[in-house]
Amino acid sequence: MTTSTGTAPSPRALARQRRRASVARFWRRYRAERAGLYGLAVLVLCALLALFAPVFVGSDVSSVTEAPGRPMQSPSAEFPLGTDQFGRDLLGLVIWGSRVSLLVGLLAAVLSVAIGTLIGVTAGHFKGWYATVMMRVTDWFLVMPTLVLAIALVTVMSRSLTTIVVAIGVTTWPTTARLVRAQTLAVETRPYIERAKALGGGHWHIMSRHVLPNVMPLVLAQTTLIISSAILAEATLAFLGLGDPTVVSWGGLLQDAREAGAVSAGDWWYLVPPGIAIAVVALAFTLCGRAVESVLNPRLGVSR
Amino acid sequence: MTADATPALVEERQTAAGPRVRKRSAYPRYLAGKVAGAAVSLLAVLVTSFFLFRLIPGDPVKTMTGGRQVSAEQLAAYREEFGLDLPLWRQFTDYCGKALTGDFGTSYQFRTPVVDKITEALPNTLLLTGTAFVLYTALGIFLGTRSAWRRGGLGDRVNTGLALTLYSIPSFWLGLLLIIVLSVGIGPLPGLFPTGGMESGGEEGFAYVLDVAHHLVLPVVTLVAVEYGQTLLVTRSALLDEMGSDYLTTARAKGLRDDLVRRRHAVPNALLPTVTLIFINLGRTVAGVILVETVFSWPGLGGLFYQALSVPDLPLVQGLFFVFAAAVILMNTLADLVYPLLDPRVAR
Amino acid sequence: MGTNDQTRSLPRGLRLVALAGAAALTLTAGLATPLDPAPRQARAADDGKKVLTVAVAQSVDSLSPFLAVRLLSTSIHRLMYEYLTNYDPKDNHAVPGLATKWEPSPDKLTWTYTIRSDSTWSDGKRATAEDAAWTFNKMMTDDGAATANGSYVGNFEKVTAPSPTKLVIELKKPQATMTALDVPIVPKHVWEKVSDFSEFNNDKSFPVVGNGPFVLTGYKADSYVRLKANKSFWRGAPKFDELVFRYYKDQDAAVSALRKGEVSFVAGSPSLTPAQADSLKGADDIQVNDAPGRRFYALATNPGAKAKNGEKFGDGHPSLLDQRVRNALFMAVDREAIIDKVFRGHAVEGEGYIPPRFQDYFWKPSASRKLAYDPAKAAQLLDRAGYRKNGDGKRVGKDGKPITYRVLCHATDPNDKAVGKYLQEWWGDLGIGVRLDCLDNVTDPWLAGKYDLAFDGWSVNPDPDFVLSIHTCGALPATPKDTGATDNFICDKTYDELYARQLAEYDPAKRADIVKQMESRLYDLGYMNVMAYPNAVEAYRTDQIKSITTMPAKAGNIYGQDGYWSWWSAVPADSGDSSGGSSTAVVAVIATSLVLLIGLGTVVAVRRRAGADDRE
Repeated sequence: MTTSTGTAPSPRALARQRRRASVARFWRRYRAERAGLYGLAVLVLCALLALFAPVFVGSDVSSVTEAPGRPMQSPSAEFPLGTDQFGRDLLGLVIWGSRVSLLVGLLAAVLSVAIGTLIGVTAGHFKGWYATVMMRVTDWFLVMPTLVLAIALVTVMSRSLTTIVVAIGVTTWPTTARLVRAQTLAVETRPYIERAKALGGGHWHIMSRHVLPNVMPLVLAQTTLIISSAILAEATLAFLGLGDPTVVSWGGLLQDAREAGAVSAGDWWYLVPPGIAIAVVALAFTLCGRAVESVLNPRLGVSR
Repeated sequence: MTADATPALVEERQTAAGPRVRKRSAYPRYLAGKVAGAAVSLLAVLVTSFFLFRLIPGDPVKTMTGGRQVSAEQLAAYREEFGLDLPLWRQFTDYCGKALTGDFGTSYQFRTPVVDKITEALPNTLLLTGTAFVLYTALGIFLGTRSAWRRGGLGDRVNTGLALTLYSIPSFWLGLLLIIVLSVGIGPLPGLFPTGGMESGGEEGFAYVLDVAHHLVLPVVTLVAVEYGQTLLVTRSALLDEMGSDYLTTARAKGLRDDLVRRRHAVPNALLPTVTLIFINLGRTVAGVILVETVFSWPGLGGLFYQALSVPDLPLVQGLFFVFAAAVILMNTLADLVYPLLDPRVAR
Repeated sequence: MGTNDQTRSLPRGLRLVALAGAAALTLTAGLATPLDPAPRQARAADDGKKVLTVAVAQSVDSLSPFLAVRLLSTSIHRLMYEYLTNYDPKDNHAVPGLATKWEPSPDKLTWTYTIRSDSTWSDGKRATAEDAAWTFNKMMTDDGAATANGSYVGNFEKVTAPSPTKLVIELKKPQATMTALDVPIVPKHVWEKVSDFSEFNNDKSFPVVGNGPFVLTGYKADSYVRLKANKSFWRGAPKFDELVFRYYKDQDAAVSALRKGEVSFVAGSPSLTPAQADSLKGADDIQVNDAPGRRFYALATNPGAKAKNGEKFGDGHPSLLDQRVRNALFMAVDREAIIDKVFRGHAVEGEGYIPPRFQDYFWKPSASRKLAYDPAKAAQLLDRAGYRKNGDGKRVGKDGKPITYRVLCHATDPNDKAVGKYLQEWWGDLGIGVRLDCLDNVTDPWLAGKYDLAFDGWSVNPDPDFVLSIHTCGALPATPKDTGATDNFICDKTYDELYARQLAEYDPAKRADIVKQMESRLYDLGYMNVMAYPNAVEAYRTDQIKSITTMPAKAGNIYGQDGYWSWWSAVPADSGDSSGGSSTAVVAVIATSLVLLIGLGTVVAVRRRAGADDRE
């Protein structure tokens, strides 16, 4: 511990202090990862854009009856990225679309990682038949072709953002579960867990107080990586026409562009920006995830 | 992080390191275990394929006869013909029984045995994925090795950066751009490649082969571009892990030439995790090709699956789902089986 | 160490694989240019044959005329088999097909057709009345054979062929549609060998015996359908030697293929998008055919689904049972904006039920009765009907809850989604919520009556009987468990009486008059609100097709005609270099050897470089 004060601090304050210190340490190391910093900068920028989109572009950017331009105009001073088939401003739509794409990516990743962590920690903690069954289920989900399963799920449920989030979340958790379980097994062999058990710590206590904080960094890295693939998955499902057509998202814009025949008409301005947006954000999340990983595990850091 | 690519092996290693010491005859038992596991997975897939798609709202018989005047008796007759009048559990046992003999029933919309429909489209999908697979694996390993050797250098940074970028690009979007640029042609650039499909139709002999190859280029390039990155990264990281090992230092200390050390010792060992990834990729690509097939009008399984889902053509959907999942299971099992043969540290 | 002989060769092997891969890539890439001399002239195949290639987006459901229902498949059957009658390409009146003459008996119950003696099957046998009688009888007796076209023979009492040139059909009730029997007549001597009609797809042995202008010679699922000209076709041989329908799942791919000359014609599904049409208009050697279509595009309202036995089902919103509400909703739909923004001019504003293309049957409301776009009046109408706005500006139903209509839309139809967005805003201004239910397959909620409004559209035939019949009470399902032929459960006595009268009316002018009265009734009811008649927007290459018949002859469509006129009449553009069958081969040989050389060179070069890397 780096800090010490005159009076003996309470154990709780001590823990808090320790946590703050480790966050600071984490940040110091993260700063050294240049790619990760770039990724983070891009993400912060995107998040700000998405949050303040109502201020920048206004919520009526997606209105079709009050579209300011003619359909399918090429880029001009008035519309830097041209207009879509309703005459709406594409720049505004791309910015507005970031809200849904980021939100869906985020929620899907959180759902996926939450399921994965829950199953991973419990399967690692409770051994025996529970773990066996859970790991079998995980294995089984792991071999399911993700996209096929997601398409099937979306078809089974009604078309909405929730459906998309659930479909992505439910199909992508097994990797997390495996990683978290391995980590849990490793953590539980440490002596202080033995001590906690000896002191009468229950399952819940051990899992929430000792195991979870130790797998949290891994979970964090995993979340960033999964957001990236969740954003891609959202775009994919929307592109296949499985999204909610009344909501503006990047994948939905691509689908609109394709349905309007922008590809063969050569209207690249309709097609290129949403794709770039998806790629940039997915890349940014991947870079952050890799940076987090390499901070947590320097030996792995050079790799992956 | 090879862990996500080789989950089964991470497990295996952990248990193998435990107190249970595996002796000589371990491999056959290991083999039996893996095969049994695969069989269980296949059965589970069979069960899912049956129940999952029953949840799709819609009465297939009404859809099939949609818009036509059909009496309840006729509908009942159709239900009987397709076995939809039986209780669910009977349908299920019939389905399983038939599936075990390789019969997935008759497609509602094409009125052809599902197996025929699948065997018709499967070679096309395999041609596309197979070609792409060979190329992206080769490219990934080649560039991954180079990257690792020149770790931290400009080449490595460019290589890794490019791989990560391409990996983040939606494949369908890349496909559409390639069509605009290389197929439709932009500005002075003429369209060099066909816009879609697998053949022009009517060519024979060698001309046919060339024609198909010509149609193959853009979809393959798309698949390779988005897929090679993963192989590259895994190869690179595995190699870096390996290069830090003591025995390599020893080998070098013995005065072995650097490139010999790499080629004889580092690379073969580092390729082990990659081998697993390769197999898993192969299985995954069969299902993952749906998007590229859609964009390039490739007459494969992906397009068929999509068509079948919208009806819903239950027998066809079930059959295809089974094929997709079976491909992954088969390849994972193969990976599990091959791995210990290559790496003596596992299960021997 | 596990590294010994076996593994030592691994990296080298892999490297070779990599090289081979790179070579393969260069190889295929290199192939591209020489093999594809951009826009190919008139697609002269190896032996100078004139090939007409049509890009289609639909896949074939079945090649058996007894099973096929999709437009592509039935169009192909038009080309393969003669029907009893055909429609004149100029004005849609019935003209001879396999039958040269037809005549009803005075009691209107017996029709006698004279079958031509100059039509032969492609295997040399003569096509006779016996073939026709067998085809109809099969459909009347075998459920499997009635799958696709059973409705045509539902009213048939008996079909006989007293002589090879005479076909007699006896009816149960008079039926005015006897010159519009769109049933392919198949050769008895081939088809009587088929055991199970519900499973036979007619796609195993080629060529398929037929007597139409083209003979089916090859088919590969989701790839192509190939037909060759029937030189002995009684009306005269087609001008093209071959006709190929090529499958493009993606419409953009099809349009690009047209641009490059890979195909001669693109139909679009159901038509090219405005953006595609606009961009093709500027292209060289391409003609965009933008003609009045045969479809109507409507907003159907759920009138409270019920079955013939009176049982009600489904859950349509009760407020829609009020005609004022239905009219108000339609008055808040700016049809001009839909034409202008969604169709971008490639459609005509909707009025009566039958598109103006069928001029004999076209009807439109007088200016005073027209439900013109007028949101203010619509709001008043709703107020008057008792659906007033609450504090939040939302109109509430009789149950006190704000009204939100579920609008059923086809997920695969961009127009549905686009118009849906407009509806959301227009009706939103009225204080009515809209939830778009976009599904790949709308059949289920549709048949179950579980919707409030739905996007609807039908292709209208020259004989309007079918599209009229689907709104009669007789088309309702017998019980909620059955499926009826009904479109959206409309059941109106006045309409039904008119329907029965037109069906028994054999005088065309009088019949047309009754049909117009039916349209007028339908318009007032407000259950079928026609928003637009979308144009058929299609395009072809003028350097491959010199001329082609549209239907109707002036300003009509080419793909999906009633009849085989377009493909039968298409004249190839004469191109000087279309004789170059052998030159194509030469180019191919040169290209291949060139490519092999390049490939080999690359392999050697890369190996050298790789070797250098190894050495360092």
